[in-house]
Amino acid sequence: MIGNDIIDLSLAKTQSNWQRRGFLEKQFSVNEQQLILRSTNSFILVWRFWSMKEAAYKVFTQQNEMRFFAPKNFDCLLISEKKGMVFYKDRIFYTSSIVTQNYIFTLASYEKLTKAYSKFVMPKFINIMIKIKLEDVTKFSAKEIEQKKSKNGAPFYYYKDKVLTRSCSISHHGNYGVFSLLYA
Amino acid sequence: MTRKELITSLKKIIKPYSQNQEAFKNLSEGTDFINDLKINSANLVDIILDVEDEFGIEIDNESMEKMLSVKSAINIIETKLAES
Repeated sequence: MIGNDIIDLSLAKTQSNWQRRGFLEKQFSVNEQQLILRSTNSFILVWRFWSMKEAAYKVFTQQNEMRFFAPKNFDCLLISEKKGMVFYKDRIFYTSSIVTQNYIFTLASYEKLTKAYSKFVMPKFINIMIKIKLEDVTKFSAKEIEQKKSKNGAPFYYYKDKVLTRSCSISHHGNYGVFSLLYA
Repeated sequence: MTRKELITSLKKIIKPYSQNQEAFKNLSEGTDFINDLKINSANLVDIILDVEDEFGIEIDNESMEKMLSVKSAINIIETKLAES
């Protein structure tokens, strides 16, 4: 299982005000709040933590048919500039983040080393680009590959009755789009 | 406050975060914040903070978990108002 998240940082700046009263307290643990406030770049750390939480949530809800909003319960641990871990109840998620001046991308997985394929694409082309990628890998025609969604919205790709993705995660925000795939 | 008045206040809060104006126009108790209104999940917390300010209530973590639709938001606000 994999889950991803992308944040367009210029949009995040205008869409949310992380310094708003209560904003940090509602979503971040005391430890995360301290790290954010002590950081030389608090804004980036807010959104890196957020993307780790969101990506981990997407892994969890793919496996468990439920939806909820509990970012504070997803505890983040930073290992390196890229690597991190998220803890939720008895689950551990391993995360890998790319932080640039323009965006933050995080991929989360139950596995330490995931073989997921991720690709950045323009948001409006995500679905078609996934089908083209699956055509390359499976040799089924992209035109005959269909997206179906699970009850809580996780996408799966099918050729007729055959499922082609073991896990698929899609994220878009502002100018950025990305998909991550584990082949069936 | 009647349920109708409550929905009107809630609508005012939700409007700036709603990304799907068509769904917003047709807002009902069955409307889902993320699936229907396409609200960015990072903005859900803004809605929760706005609701707290507007109604003078505190939404604890347990209630916050369920704040994904108009219906659940209304139920939570009504419960909290009754408690206070």
